[in-house]
Amino acid sequence: MPGPFPGRVVKVHSARSIDEESRAANPDAVRQMLTAGMLALTGEKRKEDAWRRFISPRDVVGIKVNCSGAPQICTHPEVVAGIVENLTAIGVPASQIWVYERFANQLNSVNYPRYLPDGVHVEAAEGEYSRGTVLGYDPRTYVETSFFGEDDTRSNLVRIAAERFTKIINVPNSKEHQAAGVTGCLKNIAYGNFSNVARSHKSSKTFTYSFIGTLAAVEPIRSRTVLQIMDALAGVWHAGPFSRFPQFRFYPKQLWFGTDPVAMDHQLLDLVEAKRKAEGAVSLFDRSPEHLGNNRDPNRNAFIREPGHIEYASRLGLGVFDAAKIQVREVEL
Amino acid sequence: MLLLLAAALPSLLWDGPPDTAATLRQAGIERIQVPAAQYESWKSAGGLAVEAAHPDGAIQLSSPGVQYRANVASATTTPWLVGNGWRILRNPRGRFIYDAPGAKAALAAAEASCFGADAAVHTDAAGLKPFAEIISMLRAIGPNGPPVADIGFIDDGSPAAGEVINLLVRDNLLVKLVAKPDPAMKLNVAFGSKEFPKEEAGNPPMMAHDIRGHLTDERRSLRIFGSAVVVARLTAAPDGVRVHLLNYAGAERKIDGLRVRVLGRYPKSHVTAAGSPADELLDYSVDTDATEFTIRELKTYAVIDLAR
Repeated sequence: MPGPFPGRVVKVHSARSIDEESRAANPDAVRQMLTAGMLALTGEKRKEDAWRRFISPRDVVGIKVNCSGAPQICTHPEVVAGIVENLTAIGVPASQIWVYERFANQLNSVNYPRYLPDGVHVEAAEGEYSRGTVLGYDPRTYVETSFFGEDDTRSNLVRIAAERFTKIINVPNSKEHQAAGVTGCLKNIAYGNFSNVARSHKSSKTFTYSFIGTLAAVEPIRSRTVLQIMDALAGVWHAGPFSRFPQFRFYPKQLWFGTDPVAMDHQLLDLVEAKRKAEGAVSLFDRSPEHLGNNRDPNRNAFIREPGHIEYASRLGLGVFDAAKIQVREVEL
Repeated sequence: MLLLLAAALPSLLWDGPPDTAATLRQAGIERIQVPAAQYESWKSAGGLAVEAAHPDGAIQLSSPGVQYRANVASATTTPWLVGNGWRILRNPRGRFIYDAPGAKAALAAAEASCFGADAAVHTDAAGLKPFAEIISMLRAIGPNGPPVADIGFIDDGSPAAGEVINLLVRDNLLVKLVAKPDPAMKLNVAFGSKEFPKEEAGNPPMMAHDIRGHLTDERRSLRIFGSAVVVARLTAAPDGVRVHLLNYAGAERKIDGLRVRVLGRYPKSHVTAAGSPADELLDYSVDTDATEFTIRELKTYAVIDLAR
């Protein structure tokens, strides 16, 4: 990161990509969106060549999904299936593809295997009955810091990401986050790849401002994450990431493509901020203590949000934050 | 030597009638204390070593475990451990009694042994087998050496100081109570001194955190990663150290994976864990100044002997 296309974001919209009533994605529309997005991002004429810009048949590929609001909101299995279809089409064996998350209960609630060819692995770092285990993490790769005086000061990298993958495709979805402001590419690759991160929030204070970028910059995550595909078919504009309240969901019906997580997340910030404004909710940047409280109310939140984490990540060299330097290309299907 | 070891092991305090002897033997119990009034009737029970209990003057300890208090608002989400280590440290020559039903009998026996207490554990029928398993393990590992400590704590005997000692133990800060500053310690804490005033103990976690800050994590002889319900201790051994891991939630839930860091280079190791299969330590590494490893499973109690 930020890869070969710093500052570039391709947004593909298809009105038929998701049914708002059933929340089911349309696999054919998603396939077309994936092809259109990859061609627009790379400038290639054939989709196989576009995918080969990032992945070779020898690679062991981790697809980092986001299931923290599953099954209500998550990386759609149709999107993951479409990515896998393209990977196998360029010669990556199914057995060299992993769909992964940190928590098995969330991952399993989506039932990804039902959408994927035999042989693709679906794996969580922490099992259904062993939440909190360190066994799924690499003991040698960690960020050590103390936020609130906790005794366990380490956050370790997911073991399969450290030891097995040669490439990672990051596939978050478009959500507001009550601590970080939004949870997009950066947070999915950071908090979604390291253990013991919830310790960075306590009462209304969260250290996401600097911790997200710090984790995302850790090797080998930084260099192996070669492609960002934002699932913005559905989104959450308040009370994320878990989306317990359906009234705060919305449907951009888009997929975004890039290699620069900062540029992508700046776009996400704009998307969620615009939706909040349209709904009459306070800005993500609001820091008023009087707006702390039960987030059933769109003007209240459990934390003082830290949307500045995206700009902070840009200062670590993870991508382009300056809006004037971000080139957005929009594709309508 | 065997007699000495047996005397050092926690005893089972059993107030059931003599016709329960077979139940005890089946559970693996070999030695019991009974109320003095029942001693005569128990003398003829075969297959068990029976002593008369003398509870007068013994200190009653709490049943060890974890209180999650999920429905109670609090300043911390860290589970509250009910541990007795600090009370044992304060009374090194004391005699103690636990009332620990069920699987907590195992934790009580392990805690008593780990902190070097002369203790009897009163339990129920469900606690017999877990207790016997721990006693069998304690016999197998042999006696502990003297405790290894980083912090010398000059205790004024007050409840406030007691709570600070409790939190130091609970936070795995290896503490030894001393009468005056001990030059062998990395840090000496005089409770009530200008540096550690009594007023600060009004917020005991803050004081414990302050002490940790003075010591620094880098100088801690022992650290653990991956659980908020484990208390770790370190005792010296002829050619290394012995790591003790007590899972205070062990009566309800085992821990899958716990990372341990011990200062010093120890290329050799041996694990003994009650109720878990014999297992190799995972991801073992010996760096320039520390040894690290992961224990795959921790039920109630595990001991890792590390040697040079």
